[in-house]
Formats: sequence, C-alpha cells, structure tokens
Amino acid sequence: MLSEKAVVEINQIKGRYHDARSSLLPALYVVQREHGWLSPDAVEAVGDLLNVPKAAVKGVSTFYSMFRHKPMGRHLIQLCTNVACMIMGAERLVDILKSRYGLEPNSTTSDGRFSLVIMECIGACGTAPAMLVDTDFYDNLTEQGIVDILENYK
Amino acid sequence: MEKFLLKNIDNPNSTDINEYISVGGYKAISKALEMKPADVIDEVKRSGLRGRGGAGFPTGMKWSFAAADPKKPKFILCNADEGEPGTFKDRPILEKNPHLLIEGMIISGYALQAEYGYIYLRGEYPRAKDILKDAIKQAHDKGYLGDNILGKGIRFHLHVHQGAGAYICGEETALIESLEGRRGQPRIKPPFPVNEGFLSKPTVVNNVETLANIPYIMEIGAEAYSKIGSPDCPGPKLYSISGHVKNPGVYELPMGTTLRDIIYAHCGGIRDNKKLKAVIPGGISTPILSPDKIDCPMDFVNMPKHGSMLGSGAVMVFDETVDLAKVCLRAMKFFEHESCGKCTPCREGVGWMRAILERICNGSGNEKDIELLTEVSKNIIGKTFCPLGDSAASVVQSFIKNFRQEFEQHISKEASKEIKAAA
Amino acid sequence: MITVTINGKKITLEKPVTILKAAEIAGIKIPTLCHHDMLEPYGGCRLCLVEIEKMPRLQTACTQHVTDGMVVWTETEKVVEARKGVLEFLLINHPLDCPYCDKAGECNLQDLVVKYGPATGRFAEGKRTHPESYDDPIIVRNMERCILCTRCVRMCDKVQGASAISITNRSSKSFVEPFSGGRYDCEYCGNCLTVCPVGAIMSRLHKHAYRPWLIEKEVDTVCSFCGVGCSLTLQVRGNSIVRAVPKPGKGLNKGLLCNRGRFGYDYVGSTDRLDSPLIRKDGKLERATWSEAFSYIANRLKKIKETYGSNSVAGIASGRCTNEDNYVFQKFMRVVLGTNNIDSVAGFAYAPAQKFFESIFGQGVTANPMHGIANSDGIFVIGGDPTSVNPVLGLQVRAAHQKGVPVITSGYMQGLKMFSSKSLIPNPFTETALLASLLTGLMKERPFCGLNSAFEKIIRDIQPVEIKEAEEICGITSKDISYAIDTLSVMTNPSIIIGRDILQRAEGHTNLLLLAALIYLLNGRIYLLSELPNEQGLVDMGCLPDTLPGGRPVTVDIFRKRYEEFFGVEIPSRSGLSLMEMIDAAHANKIKAMYVMGEDVVSNVPNTKHIKDALSELDLLVVQDIFMTETANLADVVLPSLAWAEKEGSYTNLERRMQMLRKAVDGKGMDDWQAIAEISRMLGFDMDYKDSGDIISEIAKVSPLHKDISYKDMEDGECMWPYKGEPLRHGMSIEGIENSKFEIRNLKFEKYVRPERKKIYIGIDNPLFHAESLSRNSAALHSIAPEAYVRISKVLARELSIANGDYVTIATNSGSIELSAQIDSDLPENIVLIPNNFDGKGVFTVMNWKMNTVIKSPVMDFTEVLVRKATHVFKEATIKN
Repeated sequence: MLSEKAVVEINQIKGRYHDARSSLLPALYVVQREHGWLSPDAVEAVGDLLNVPKAAVKGVSTFYSMFRHKPMGRHLIQLCTNVACMIMGAERLVDILKSRYGLEPNSTTSDGRFSLVIMECIGACGTAPAMLVDTDFYDNLTEQGIVDILENYK
Repeated sequence: MEKFLLKNIDNPNSTDINEYISVGGYKAISKALEMKPADVIDEVKRSGLRGRGGAGFPTGMKWSFAAADPKKPKFILCNADEGEPGTFKDRPILEKNPHLLIEGMIISGYALQAEYGYIYLRGEYPRAKDILKDAIKQAHDKGYLGDNILGKGIRFHLHVHQGAGAYICGEETALIESLEGRRGQPRIKPPFPVNEGFLSKPTVVNNVETLANIPYIMEIGAEAYSKIGSPDCPGPKLYSISGHVKNPGVYELPMGTTLRDIIYAHCGGIRDNKKLKAVIPGGISTPILSPDKIDCPMDFVNMPKHGSMLGSGAVMVFDETVDLAKVCLRAMKFFEHESCGKCTPCREGVGWMRAILERICNGSGNEKDIELLTEVSKNIIGKTFCPLGDSAASVVQSFIKNFRQEFEQHISKEASKEIKAAA
Repeated sequence: MITVTINGKKITLEKPVTILKAAEIAGIKIPTLCHHDMLEPYGGCRLCLVEIEKMPRLQTACTQHVTDGMVVWTETEKVVEARKGVLEFLLINHPLDCPYCDKAGECNLQDLVVKYGPATGRFAEGKRTHPESYDDPIIVRNMERCILCTRCVRMCDKVQGASAISITNRSSKSFVEPFSGGRYDCEYCGNCLTVCPVGAIMSRLHKHAYRPWLIEKEVDTVCSFCGVGCSLTLQVRGNSIVRAVPKPGKGLNKGLLCNRGRFGYDYVGSTDRLDSPLIRKDGKLERATWSEAFSYIANRLKKIKETYGSNSVAGIASGRCTNEDNYVFQKFMRVVLGTNNIDSVAGFAYAPAQKFFESIFGQGVTANPMHGIANSDGIFVIGGDPTSVNPVLGLQVRAAHQKGVPVITSGYMQGLKMFSSKSLIPNPFTETALLASLLTGLMKERPFCGLNSAFEKIIRDIQPVEIKEAEEICGITSKDISYAIDTLSVMTNPSIIIGRDILQRAEGHTNLLLLAALIYLLNGRIYLLSELPNEQGLVDMGCLPDTLPGGRPVTVDIFRKRYEEFFGVEIPSRSGLSLMEMIDAAHANKIKAMYVMGEDVVSNVPNTKHIKDALSELDLLVVQDIFMTETANLADVVLPSLAWAEKEGSYTNLERRMQMLRKAVDGKGMDDWQAIAEISRMLGFDMDYKDSGDIISEIAKVSPLHKDISYKDMEDGECMWPYKGEPLRHGMSIEGIENSKFEIRNLKFEKYVRPERKKIYIGIDNPLFHAESLSRNSAALHSIAPEAYVRISKVLARELSIANGDYVTIATNSGSIELSAQIDSDLPENIVLIPNNFDGKGVFTVMNWKMNTVIKSPVMDFTEVLVRKATHVFKEATIKN
C-alpha cells in the first residue's frame, strides 16, 4: 500500500526519535503528501509500519484538522476566517469562492480542481485576510486578488 | 529601543547562517559553553526572563527544576505552535531569524544537559518548516549542532516536528502528547513535564520568543537584561498588532509598553480616522477591554490589574464598525473547533455557548439568553481540565460585562414576545 | 503518616493516595463517571470536583493526591453546584432514552442525575444524533448516549491490550468507534461493556430481553470454558440465563472475562440440548425412560464383563465435568467394573507434562497463581497462544509486556504479536532443535544450581545444538536466537507458559525433557495452559489409567491397597489403557464396551474416520452428554447430562485452585455422577449420594491430597493446592525420573526432520471464539465466527490468487475439505492454520492417526497439505438454533 519511497522516508524519520510512535504525525504527512488523503488502508499501513494499532492511528489522524480523510481536489485552499481575518473581510472571500467556483467549505469543486477548508488562524493577522493554497502562503487578500491568485492553480 | 529579536530581518539573506554570524550571531554559544551548565541556568534566572507563550512562568526556575531531576535523557522542546488567534509574533523569528532560535535552543540544551531538542512547529507554517530545516542543516555543517559542538564534546541534536492543526497542542502537556504520536489531550499535572515530560523524561517546553531571548541574555548579561522593560517582567517583547490600526504588524518593544502607545504611537492609530471601540490585548483567550482601559502597561503583572492578561501580547484592535457580538460568536466557534473533547464542561459547554450566541446573532435570541449564557459560562470556569474551556467562558463573560449592549441589540423583540406568550 | 480531614472526618494514611481513595477509606462516596479501579486516573468527566481548603479552584478527587494536613469538603454548596453543572452538560446531548434504554436501572448516569442533577433541562439548541448501529454481531451501539468517559477505550487499550477502539475526531465531535466504524472485529471480551457507565454500548444478545429489576436471581459461579476458571455471575429469569456478567474486582479474573465466558453460555439454553435418554433400536436412536436406559446399560455391561473380562471395558472422562462427576466415574470403572482402563484428553499433554515436571521438581510445581505472571521478571511462552487458549491468563502476559517485562515466544502467536520482545517461529518439525539450541546457549551463560544433580547429569548428556546449526535448521536468524538466549539468561524467576501443542508431537517427549531442562536452568515458574475447565480435576480425581484419586500411582502397592481397603474391592495392579490405546484396542476388538462421559471423542481427537471406525466395532457404546455430539451419534445408549449451569460441584483450575460451580437453572438431564450411581446400583454396588456435597466428603476421605476438603474451603476463592492435604512425595532421583516412564536418557539428535522445500504443512488453529465442539452450540459465539476457515500466508495467497473470503480446498492423504481463506500477513509461508471447531470441517478430519508412544498422546505434527483454490463450494449450513 505504501510506496517504497514512502517506507524509506518514514524509516529515516524514525531515526529522529527514541520511540517509533513519535514518528506517527510525520509519517502520516508523508503518506498524505503522496496520496492526497489518508484512506483507511493507508492508516492501517502506517500502523503496521510503526507497530501502532490501527484504531489508535485513526484516533490520532482524525484528531488533527490538517489530515484529510477523503479525497481532495488538486489544490487545497485553506482560508482563515478567524477574528482578525473576519473583521478584515474574510467572509466576503468565502462568498466569492462560492459564487465564482461553486466551492463550499469542506467540499471540492465538481471538476476536482479546488477543495476549500476553513482555517482557525494561520498567523497572518496583521496582513489579514490570508490563506494557504497547498503550501503556498498568501496574505493581504482582496476580492479581486484572491481570484487572480487562484487562476494560477490549474 | 535597539532591536535584538528582530535584528536584521529586513535583510533578504537573514536566514543564511553566514549573514547571521556577520551581525554577531553564534557568539552567545561560545560564551555559554565556557560557563558551567548550572551557571547558565543561574544567569537566566537572574535575568528575570518569563515565558513568552502566555503563562509567564519564570524561565530560569523551570530550567532548574528539570536540571535537578536525575532522569535521562532530557529534552528541550520549542513550542512553535503559535495558534492563539491574533498572534503572529513568532513567525518572523521562525521565517526570518531562525538561527536566533537555534542558538537559543543549543544554549538551553547545554544548560539543561539535554542532548535532544525538537521544534514543535504548527502545520500551518509550511514556509517556516523548510526555512528551519535548512537553517538546522547549516548550523550542523558549521559545527554548532551534532555530537561535538565546537569541538567541546557537547552533543545536541535538533529536529523540526510538525503539528497538524490543533490549537490545544500549544498547551505544553498536549504538545508532548502530540510529539509522542498521540492525540493532543493535556495530561494530569502533577507530574509536571520538567520531571516527567516527553517519554516520561525531564522536559522543558519553551516558547519560540522565550528561547530567542536566551542569546541576548548571554550576550549582555543578566544584569543588563533585567533593566530592559518592566522591573518584574524584563526584556524586549514582541507584540503582534492586528485589526483596524493603520500599521499592523510585529513590533519589538520594551516589556510594559502601554496599550495606548502600542496602538497610537507605534501603529499609527485607528485606520480611516474611525473611533476605537474595543481591544483584545493578548490573543483571543484574553478578556476584551473597553477603550478606557488602554493605559495599562502590557506586561504580566499589570494586565491582570486592569481586568485582562498579557497572554501572547497579540493585540486585536476593533473600531466602531465591528459587531462585537459576532466577534464573540466567532471566538466561540474557534474554541469549539479547538476543544480537545476530554473534559465535560469544555466539550459540551463551549458548544452550548456558541449555539446561544449563534441564535442571538441571527436574530432568534431572546432576553433570557444573556442570562443563560452567563450561567453556562459560570459552570465552565474553574471546572475544566485545562485553560482552553476556562478562557472561552471568561472571554464570553468579559464581552457581556463590557459590551452587553452589543448582544442586546441583536435580541429580537419578536422572539421575546413568543416566549412570554408561551409561558 | 499523613492526616487528612474529609467532611470533618479525620483519617490517617501511611502513604499518599488520591482524595477519592482516601474518601473511600473514610467511608465517604464521591461520585465519579470516568474513573475505574482497573484504569489510570483520567480526570475528564469533572464530576468528582471537591473543595480543598487553601486551594482557590475545585480539584478532581480522582487525580489529586492528599497531603498531610489537607482539609477536603465534598458536599459544600460550591461542590454541589459544580456537580449539577457537569451533569447538566452531560445531559444536553444525552438523549432521554430511559424508557427504551436497556441500561435503565443499572445506569450510573441515571443514578447520579437522580441524586445530584438538574430536574429540568435548559438546552434548546438541538442534540447531536447518531443512528443506532447493528453492524456488529455482539455489540449494539447507541452512540448518542455516549458521555465520552473513555473507559471503554482505556480498558481495551491498557487492560485488554486489543486496542480495537479509539476516540476519533475531537471536541464535541469526539466519537468512540472501532477501526472499521461498523463491526468491531475485536476479541469480543466484553470488558468494554462491563465498564460503560451508560447504555451507549450494550450486548446485542440481551437487547430488550429484560430489565435489571426483573432478574430473579444472581448466581455466582465459575466459567465452564477454559482452565482459568473465571468467576462470573449468571443472572436468571424464568429458568433462563439472561446474562453472564463479571463482578468488579471479583475472582482471580478480577472482573475481566473473555468472549467465551461472557457470551458463550447460551449453549445451556440451546434447543438442541438432549432432554431424554435414547436407546438404539433397529439402527435408530429412540427415546426411552431413565430406568429403561439404566437397565439396558447395566445388563449389557454385566454381560460383557462376564464374557470378556473387566479389561474389555474402557471409560473416557471429561474435563468439562466436575470433580465429583469424574471421581464417581473412576470409582465406577475401577470398583464396579474392575478396570484401570480410564483416561481422558488430559492424558494427552496436561497430565504427562505435569507428572514429568513433578518428578523432577517436586509435587505442585505447576500450582502457581496466575497473577504471578504479570509480576515475574521474564516470560517464555511455547506450545499455544495463551490469549486464545486461556485469554484472561493471556492478559497477564500482555500486562507484563506493557510494564517492560521481556517476553519470548516460540511458535506462531497472533495475540502476542505486539506483546513479545522476541517472537521465534521455527520451521515445521524443528521446534525440538530450537529448544535444544536455547538450552545449549543458556548452559553457557548460567551455572547449574546444584539442587538435582541427577537431573543435571541428564541435561549434560543432551547433545548440544549450536546457534549456527539452529539457524540453518529452524529458519530463525542467529541474531534472534542469541537475543532470546541473552534475554532468558538474565531472568531470575520467569514464568514458563506451556501449551499442549509442543507436546503433541512426534518428539513431544523430547520437547518435554528440553523444557524441563530450561525450567531447571532458569528457575522457572511453570504454567500449563488448558482449554478445559477441569483438566486438573481429571488428574486429581484419578481419571488416568495409572493414577488413583490424589495423584497416587495405581501400580504402587501401598496406595492401591489403601484404595482397595476403603471400597472393599480389589482393583487391577497394572495400569490400564490410555485413550489412544483404547481406540486402537476397540479397532482390534479387544475393547468391547466403552463408556464416554462428556467427551466428543470423535470430534476432538484426530483422525475422525479412524475413531468412528473404532467406535463402530464396539458391542456397547454408552455416551453421556448434553448435546447429540458426533460421538453420541454412534452410541447404543445416550444419556442426557446436566450442563455446567444446572449443577453444583467443583472445578480445579490450572493453578490447582478449587472453585465451586453453583446451579443457576434447572435442566432436563441428570447429573453425570447420579446417572453413574444409578447404573452402579443396578450392578450391585450402591453409591448413596444425596448431592455433590456427599461426594466431596468421600473424596476428602479417599484422596490424601484432598483430606478434609469441603465446599466451605472453596467459598472464599482461595482454595489453593495443597489444600489441607498430603501431596505425593516424589524422590528427585534418577530412579524417580525413570519411573515416570519416559525414555529420556542419552538423547541424541542424529537427524533433524526438516520441512521439505515448497511443501505446506497444517498447523492447528486455536481460535479465541470457539472451544472444541462445545461452541458449535452457542449462537453467540457462532455469530462472531460463523464459518470454518483456513488462515493462509500473504505469499501463498498471492501464488494462488486468493483473496480474503475465497474458498480453498485443503487436501491431505486423509481427505479434503473446503474452507474460506483468511489472509494472515504474519503467517510463515509454509504453514496454514486450520481450526477444529466447525461441524464437518474440523482439521482433525484431514489429519492422521498417530501416537507418540512415550507420552501416549496424538501426534499433531505438521501434516503435509495441498492447497488449491476451490472450484466448487458448498455453502455451510447455518447453525440450527
């Protein structure tokens, strides 16, 4: 289930810690990067590799909001709407994503291009509103600006 | 004041180790390695440095507890989970001055005789992860990390460990749980992490900014350091200001600068010439203040006297256009989302408060709801496992206390009529 | 000393405990929900908040330790308000299901709300909902009722060690579920059900079947499934067992059970139970009266005895029958019928192993309390997975491992996969070589203790096997073997857990010697696994061809004469036939009559066909049982017995602890001992027993080991060997060892049998969810594991393109069967594991009949097998309950 590359990387990560279980979060990231999400098979495979019971792995992966448990679009928009971003217009941006791309929070566009996840503060309050697209960071967003940025993501 | 924490961050090469060294970096390590570990701890104690994550615990004292515990190995963990809404003060250090943090951690490791350090970095900072990893590699290549630091036979290994989106992991025992590959639920204290932390070994958890202060203390000495800022809370402080000010951003100022100075002297006052309506001084978990309170010095000792807390020093400024009831609601949505779910009052009560606020904000609240909100918050405060639920309830109480009219204006006369009719 | 004042009451303690515990000592109850004595403190529910003087905030009593001079108040206004608040929070999402919920009447939340909670609700926001889930065959989930105390998760993780469930998500979306989200696919121990304080998870077997207050009686008894003998309580209504529940902290199992004990009792109430004596007329078994049946049996036995002699009769006793039943049985065979031809499956492995160890180490060497396992400094397990054979004992091994105690296992043990420091899986046929290499290695690291020089001489004569050699033969790396040796060598008093699989081999006797040598070197504490509740009882009651009650050898004059004196009858001075010898003798027409009590010989011993043929040769086959077993199907007379829950009596467990069974329901059969007593009377020997108590009184006189034993001794649960009796004294000399009849001197391993390349061999699977053929009659156990299966390795599955659930044909030179494949990713590629529990598809049907003539046990060595994907499959008929 896990690619050889992933197994090698995870085994390397294990070397950073005294206990194999400490590499669980990094291992889940490795697998999520490869597959785009964590399927039940992936969760079980990580558990087998690290000798952690699969139910425990599932309990851990679902605790953290940045692990995805269903397939995502090609690009993940992570938009913050917490207080600082909210008072600087983030909710309006949510509306634009809806009207422009038909995108709702926790859903994927029908063409599989974008998924949207609402974030709880990404540390850009002084340059709000802000978002991450995949691992790219954008702040000082405007209603036009956000569209311009997203046009680059196919 | 002369910048130390944010020194040189405007330089596009600031993350390069050679650039850092050229402006005086990695000198503090050599100084520290010439002292005995116990003396380094003593220096930090005498400096009066208090934790910058929000709790304000004297750093030197925390270190001495861990140092006194005989168990090995020991660990120094950097809490880079900066998740408190409004807070973005650690990000400039992580993304633009990583070597300052690394140097601080190496010195801490030496003082504690901890050979392993981890930077628990929030998952929402992907850029910082790459920058830190590069910086660590540079430091390793130059002999500042590894099995034989500067040829002195000292070992220190540093790794970045990414979180995955859980604010609660900013709490030190939840952070340790997360580092152990578990759900981020806080642990029962005692035992405290300094005695039984990561893998049940003595562990010190310090905030990014706290550790970034360590090289400063080594360089100028405890005496000089203690003279900066307030007498009980010395040192420089990074304040992150957001909201309706002209110049939001991160400012390195002496600890104890007043809110008024921060808003008006440094951030240029309210934008668009609007009026100040309210301020949250230390991040979303701190009680909200009305404009008449802004002359308070922003430090650990004075803020509680004025009805709030320094917290992370994250100042959120609201002008007259803001609906504070909606801010309170959004805050509760945040706390509900981030609650770990372990204890009953937080898990159930915060969601209840959010639901009541939702009704109030969408016009279906009634006059009994504010009382109900207060009653529910009272059943949460002082009853929770950790400060998260506690803060949520205190925040609601502070909003009601200082800005009751914001809620009252939402309360529908129609809904109240219905209740009266039904009674 | 620590002085604490709680609600004005002063108590002194020697060491600090939690406030909760201190209050308990002071007789003050503080309400809790997430706390459980078997689990570490959690501090999550917040119900136990109390007021402590000089502390500004309320603290949870379950996590806060007392300090000297602490003053605590548990019923102040502040505390009462806090409790009310917590209960209100729990109720905002908890549905008002009481009228419909099975937990009502024994629900912790209900009780607490009545006492401390708000009378009305203020929550108007809409409760979260989850549909009721019937995905699992045993556990029904109503997750709306879950209060997230997480006791179930912590129990499953830390105590059971199965880690089958976890909390997923967080905040108010926190949700406890098994990995699949539907079926648990766990060990079905039911320990999570025991600790759930509300009706969120409940047994599906009793859904809407009763109300706690309608239960008519609760009977404390011990489980009928395996040799641990867990205490459990049967709840009865209308002469039916409604539930089997543990009592918290009670019994040697301390409130823990396994799936068999917890759910498998339903065989007692099965409609397939025999309810009338049957006599074969014109080839068909027809209903008859008791007196008809007794007369028939008595007359035929008398005839056969007169015609062919006493030794033409043989008897097989049962490890599921009580001590009293078994005692009367051997008395019947010896005193009334005059033969020592009496045996049971205990004679296969349990009895010979015990006897051999006792001959070297002294009597009672296996009488070790089970709880010693978790407290030992090392564990070695071989011959069976304790987590399936004796699950609650297996928990001891898991607990030890969690504490950091080294555990070395030999043989494939799925239940200890995550709980062993090193798992050694030798190739088929090479276990002996592995044991020899461990011994060789250990002898280099540990000196002899000098206690038994005769045995030491024997050990020194054993041909050594070096690690490199063992690596080549066994297929285990030198590194692993060395690790095992090094780990074992530092243990000071390890627990050595031995299952029968290592003894039921062609080299079983050799393995026994090697194990004894290891135990001697390691100063080991012996535990013999047993899948029967009263295998020890069989030994102690003398249901062996060479042993009298109390373990006295029949061949030794002084013991036999004492026995003869008591009964006024002479009995044969030579040992009788062992079970396998009886079968062969029946085949050869030397045995004419057999009396089988409570044992399904046809199903439980390989080879099925051979046994059926043998039994068909008999002139008379009498079977006493609770179901129409395969053996009963061949009988001339069948007598219905009372099942375990329908009788009084005693069991002796594998610790040699004697415990009482108590009658919970009335049955249609007769006590085994009573039926035999009737037949005995008709044969001229009166056995006047009013009840089982009379029998135990007689046992107390006849068996020196059980001198003066009474049921009263067993009531407190601490009736341990040697009771108040006299164990047999054994000399620890070469003569003593020689007398134990094993030819074990000068062992030389001249040639090691090795598995052939590319060949596949059968191993016997001992599933957790089944017990011999008895579990066929439990609908509950069948719902967990309904279909016969074969476990195959990933490699074999790939080779044959088999997916999970595909049917495969298993063929040996004895026959073939079709089984559903289960892929096991850790199974070695040259082994398939097949259970013996399924009707018509048991592994014994395709294994050979072969006897180890030293131990007289069946050789269950690895039979060669051909595995093919099945082309035509007949779906197995479902259980007819």
